Amino acid sequence: MIRHLFKLIWNRKKSNFLLITEIFFCFLVLFGVLSLVVYNVRNYTKPLGFEHENVWMLSMRPNNDSSALNHQNLVQVLQRVRAYPEVEHASLSTSNAPFAFSQMMDNLTYGNVKDLQADVYEVEDGFQDVMRLQLSEGRWFGAADDASHHKPIVINKVLQQQLFGAEDPLGKLIRYTDTVSYQVVGVVDHYRAYSEFAVEKPAFFSRINLQEDDKSFWGELLIQVKPGTGVAFEEKMVRDISGTTKDWTLEVTSLEKMRQNKAKLTLAPMIALGLVCGFLIFNVALGLFGVLWYNINRRNGEIGLRRALGAAASQVYWQFIGEVLVLATFGLLLGVFFAVQFPLLQVFQVDSEVYLIALAFAVVIIYLLTAICAFYPSRQAAAVLPAVALHEE
Amino acid sequence: MITLSNIEKVYQTKSIETVALQNVNLKVPAGEFLSIMGPSGCGKSTLLNIMGLLDVPSKGVVEINGQPIQSYKDKELAHIRNEKIGFVFQSYHLVNDLSVLDNVELPLLYRNGVSGTERTSRAKAALEKVGLSARTKHYPSQLSGGQRQRVAIARALIGQPEIILADEPTGNLDSVMGEEIMHLLLNLNSQDGTTIVMVTHDENMAMKTERLVRFFDGQQVSDTVLYGNFQKV
Ligand SMILES: Nc1ncnc2c1ncn2[C@@H]1O[C@H](COP(=O)(O)OP(=O)(O)OP(=O)(O)O)[C@@H](O)[C@H]1O
Ligand SMILES: [Mg+2]
Repeated sequence: MIRHLFKLIWNRKKSNFLLITEIFFCFLVLFGVLSLVVYNVRNYTKPLGFEHENVWMLSMRPNNDSSALNHQNLVQVLQRVRAYPEVEHASLSTSNAPFAFSQMMDNLTYGNVKDLQADVYEVEDGFQDVMRLQLSEGRWFGAADDASHHKPIVINKVLQQQLFGAEDPLGKLIRYTDTVSYQVVGVVDHYRAYSEFAVEKPAFFSRINLQEDDKSFWGELLIQVKPGTGVAFEEKMVRDISGTTKDWTLEVTSLEKMRQNKAKLTLAPMIALGLVCGFLIFNVALGLFGVLWYNINRRNGEIGLRRALGAAASQVYWQFIGEVLVLATFGLLLGVFFAVQFPLLQVFQVDSEVYLIALAFAVVIIYLLTAICAFYPSRQAAAVLPAVALHEE
Repeated sequence: MITLSNIEKVYQTKSIETVALQNVNLKVPAGEFLSIMGPSGCGKSTLLNIMGLLDVPSKGVVEINGQPIQSYKDKELAHIRNEKIGFVFQSYHLVNDLSVLDNVELPLLYRNGVSGTERTSRAKAALEKVGLSARTKHYPSQLSGGQRQRVAIARALIGQPEIILADEPTGNLDSVMGEEIMHLLLNLNSQDGTTIVMVTHDENMAMKTERLVRFFDGQQVSDTVLYGNFQKV
């Protein structure tokens, strides 16, 4: 019977051409949108490597050029903030704090690996506690590193794998400047700070040493407050700090708010695309339904004939459902041919699995969609009385 | 055996009501070759449709081998149509998108346990019987009217039905071809014992059958046994 259906569809390929192309395009759009969704969902479900609850970010923007004075004020601000009973931990950070719209890169070279691009996060010793990072190897940097000639860094696993492969990363030196090297002192499982929907990239933390580096300024202070600490404390803290640093611009936000802003950036276009895609699919479904309806009505004579030759109503019903599925198969074969080029050619550097999952979903959805569209017209076809149908021809 | 009792068929359309058959009582015993004649529009095709279980009468009872058809479900009716009845339609009703061979195979497609190769070989044999072996790969649109009629006949034969209902099976054939088809039907009737009901406009053809029923305006007007003319081949 299936061979019979393929033969029928093949012999009618001219009149089915439109339907097949419609299914083909519908599949491609669906595949594209689903790839994006699968990509984002997969990233979202992976660990971030940190916890951002009750963490605030204080941004400090000095409005004068005296770096010595600013540095001095910064030290005072830090002392002040750490002294509050509401504050659990605090650490300075470069502007690429979690969920911030900022990135800092460095190129690392080690052995055969040349210029591996990695995200750099300059943070203080307290950062591990502020963000509750989990170390899988080695240690976090601390006061013990003051004496070291090297610049201590903690790397994430992705960086470890790409730079060192199977080698033990601890103690390894990586060129920093002509005179100073980075030294790996620890490894964290994960650190994926840019966005919940972004892939994890090679990243490392480098230590801020305020005593040594007395000309520099870091404008972001990450503060972990006690649970339940609210706006009142935020206002009091800003007021206090403004007292010592009159010409600084201060701003406090929670990482949760920043996370939401970042998420919107991914979700908004995804929802918009989803709506457009849904609308498109709805239209295709309507078109499909219409064409199927028309085709089946046009084929009343054939239906009557098949009934007369011994097809039961249910067989006519399944024949039409089957035909539509065969039709969908033609469109899908064409679509899958194009779709598999994405993982094969490694377009966009995305994991092949993302495309394959999206492909499978798209195929299932198209089959379901066409089957649903075929359901009513096919039932109508099955209800045709043989004599009436034959008479009409 | 087909038994029709008090059959009435009324076609109801919006404005008009057509009485196509009225008070028809007809018994076709197994193995009989019956011909039906009558002017155009007198209800011959309607009668054949009812006999072939394609249509239900407005009144009366149709029995196949003593069983009233009302007692059958759709699946069982389909099964009877498929196994027991071969239909040659007045206007052939071939599927245009299927080749001659595929058209002839159709009835076997709805029969369980017939393999693809068996279908093909039986279709080829049936086409050979109607003299169309050379046209198996053609499509209906590439055939003449007479050739199409013969495809329709081959399709009715392929399932080796107990009953063949033929609506003017020779209507489009020249006299030589018509004779051949008639010969074929007579053979089926005498050798395989196939019951045949044939509608015809051709007196000569009708005279070759066992019994002739004439219709006029939806009613039987005569029922003649033609033993004199009928010769078993
Ligand atoms: N589906 C239908 N709807 C309405 N009227 C119909 C229908 N089928 C047949 N009729 C009417 O029933 C009557 C009998 O038609 P039928 O087709 O049985 O005639 P026939 O004897 O086969 O004629 P012909 O020799 O021309 O084939 C005609 O008057 C026809 O108009
Ligand atoms: Mg007729």
